[in-house]
Amino acid sequence: MNDTPIRIRVKYSKSGNLRFLGHIDTQNLFERALRRTELPIRHTQGFNKRIRINLASALPLGFISEAEILDIWLDQPIDTEIIGKKLNEALPDDIKVLEVQMVDNALPSLQASLVSSDYLISIPADPGLETFKNRFQALLTGEKIEIIKRKKTIDLKPMILDYSFQSESPDGDQFFIRLSSSPNANARPDDLLQLLEIDPADCLVKRTKLNFS
Amino acid sequence: MKKSSQTYTITTLQKKFTAKAILITIMNSLIEKILYHVEKPGRYVGGEHNQIEKDWGSTPLRWCLIFPDIYDIGQTNLGLAMLYQILNAEPDILAERSFAPWIDMEAQLREHDLPLFSLESKKALKEFDILGFTLPYESIYTNVLNILELSGIEAYVSHRTENDPLILGGGQACFNAEPMADFFDAFVIGEGEEVSLEISHLYKAWKANNGSRQELLFQLAKFPGVYVPSLYEVDYLQDGTIEAIRPLRADIPAKITKRIVPVLPPHPEKFLVPNVEIVHDRMSIEIMRGCTRGCRFCHAGMVNRPVRQRSVDQLIPTIKNALKSTGYEEVGLLSLSSSDHTQILELTQQVHENFHDKKLAFGLPSLRIESFSVDLMNELQELKPGGGFTLAPEAATERMRAVINKPLDEEDFYFTVKKIFEHGWRSLKLYYMIGLPTETMEDVEAILEAGIKVKRIGKSILGNSAKVHLGIGTLIPKPHTPFQWLPVESPETIQAKIDYLKAGTRKAGIKMSYNIPDSSLLETWLSRGDRRLGPVIYRAWKNGAKFDAWGERENLPIWREAFESTGVDPDFYAYRERGLDEILPWDHIDIGVKKNFLKQDLQWSLRGRTRPDCRNTCYACGILDAFGETRPDNNISYWGCP
Repeated sequence: MNDTPIRIRVKYSKSGNLRFLGHIDTQNLFERALRRTELPIRHTQGFNKRIRINLASALPLGFISEAEILDIWLDQPIDTEIIGKKLNEALPDDIKVLEVQMVDNALPSLQASLVSSDYLISIPADPGLETFKNRFQALLTGEKIEIIKRKKTIDLKPMILDYSFQSESPDGDQFFIRLSSSPNANARPDDLLQLLEIDPADCLVKRTKLNFS
Repeated sequence: MKKSSQTYTITTLQKKFTAKAILITIMNSLIEKILYHVEKPGRYVGGEHNQIEKDWGSTPLRWCLIFPDIYDIGQTNLGLAMLYQILNAEPDILAERSFAPWIDMEAQLREHDLPLFSLESKKALKEFDILGFTLPYESIYTNVLNILELSGIEAYVSHRTENDPLILGGGQACFNAEPMADFFDAFVIGEGEEVSLEISHLYKAWKANNGSRQELLFQLAKFPGVYVPSLYEVDYLQDGTIEAIRPLRADIPAKITKRIVPVLPPHPEKFLVPNVEIVHDRMSIEIMRGCTRGCRFCHAGMVNRPVRQRSVDQLIPTIKNALKSTGYEEVGLLSLSSSDHTQILELTQQVHENFHDKKLAFGLPSLRIESFSVDLMNELQELKPGGGFTLAPEAATERMRAVINKPLDEEDFYFTVKKIFEHGWRSLKLYYMIGLPTETMEDVEAILEAGIKVKRIGKSILGNSAKVHLGIGTLIPKPHTPFQWLPVESPETIQAKIDYLKAGTRKAGIKMSYNIPDSSLLETWLSRGDRRLGPVIYRAWKNGAKFDAWGERENLPIWREAFESTGVDPDFYAYRERGLDEILPWDHIDIGVKKNFLKQDLQWSLRGRTRPDCRNTCYACGILDAFGETRPDNNISYWGCP
């Protein structure tokens, strides 16, 4: 066994039925899929040996994504193409591995280097693009955008890093937003939608990119 | 500006329409919307690894297999997994799944006027040909009525139309499903592996002939192992006991004999792997069916005869393939009495040899103290070190163990206990029963004494880290067992016994778990009842009883009201000793074991006479008379009968 584990970074999409799968369940799903691949997976040490796996960021329930990232560790180097193929065979259809690359084992954890997330949100016909725009602009004119999470008041305003509207997309009107996703400042687009008086269930929210430092 | 904005809105609508069409291809958009508002939506969407999804339009016969509890409880049911694979293996049959929606999901379905749907194709249950309900225990009866209503199907068979799906029941509770007789078209009695396919063929032929519902029921009633309750009538005597149970036609059998498979079929390997965390989330492998020990309180031991087992040569490749296909990290090797498997030591050795480098946990529950060797313990320590160990002596005095026919040498017991602690298991759980026939306070005191002695042994080996846990169950004399004629002990007496044990265990630093007397009442009524309970179940459900197995929902007042308002006396089913000559509500269901055998066994019990393991001596229970002709050569499949 190689003493230094081989660190593998996997980019994957999540859609369909599996968008209703929470973070812990997604992690368990990968653990079992990895076992099915029969790759030389690194286990954690100790009494309860688990597969070492690290997801960059929890994707809120109901969102789809084309840019999730996770790290796994192997005991021996394996061709990344083979890893991708084996993983895709072992995973349900609603999760697709898009990219596999070997990375330096000494890199900091994914969570520690994650800065922000990009989202594309479909704007529902009710209230429609114009009203949506107006409500969002009104929100931005305030000094703060405050929500209460676990009895703590959080200001979302500094966490909105970028946004734009895309009215000519073939998927209808869409709202692009880049939100801070660092451990100390983590904003969720559904919180923002609720401030805009929109039920997130009426939108299709897609995470399109994770941005790392 | 205004004009362009208007044009824009129309375009938006058109675009919106396209976007929505995409959504529909993922799933019905309304279903999708409500899933945002329920806890653990992953319960309702399917899409698990190894799910089988067939083309709806081109598959002529469509089953929906329903486990009437939530997904978290039902998904690992082995019977469901078997039927799912057997039915879906046929090119012209599809079988999907559905479960009881949890309370929040039910509220959403009702609010949006949506029917309950299947996990695979999200079709309303009403669109299927056959709804096959698994009924493993009685406390989910109300959930069945709830599922029917959520599907727009009338609860009472007599109120349904020709277009409704055929409503079938199967599973261990169906050995006395009389209380549910009003609500099911038919019950499958016994093992479903073969009969489910036979029913499918019969159904297809009937459908091709455009037959009436009544014709289908007649055909089913003539079918071995199928019970159509509406084609039987029950007459009662003045005192409320049964005068006769009669078939309504001469060409259907007076008694329905259960089905068995003479050889256990190939074990399922491609288990569905749940995406959300569920109860007992592990792979279950059935190593043996039935039990030869004949414990007199044990329903499973009586109704699942004869003993049949899978050989090590079958099991090892099955486990290998199933692990490869699922990626599970924990395996349960299941049976009613694992250490009685004739190759148990070889099995554990081979499991160890084949899988020790895979970082898996193996469980081997239901070990019998007398057939459980130190060699086996050594193997088990390798397979699943640490954690707890469980034994079920059930009674603590020799006399009482003779009454229940679970004899055990005291010396053997304490030797085993010592070895368990010596092997490093720190926590030992011991199951005992109270409310047993002829039980005195002396027998109950002996349970506490045994717990204290076990604790002392543990302490002498492991010091204070040795934990002892007593699990106290209350006897419910079940149909088809030698105790079926006996009353249930009164709640006051049970409470007094529990109080005694509680005080004693607390003082001795022993953990104890138990059921409050009230909580087993529902199981008592429903398991020992007759078809006059139909209106009681209906009323209790109408008044809000559901998920009766979930302790936190205290439904007992609803049930008491339901009995009262329908004029049915619950005590009649619980506290009355039944006459040995009485016709019991389940007498027309033939489990292969003769009623006379059970009667004799009861008499032996009350005299303290045991019937040791029937593998060595046949006591002519009747199972060989019923099924001996189908018995294969022992080289093909081991049967426990001598």
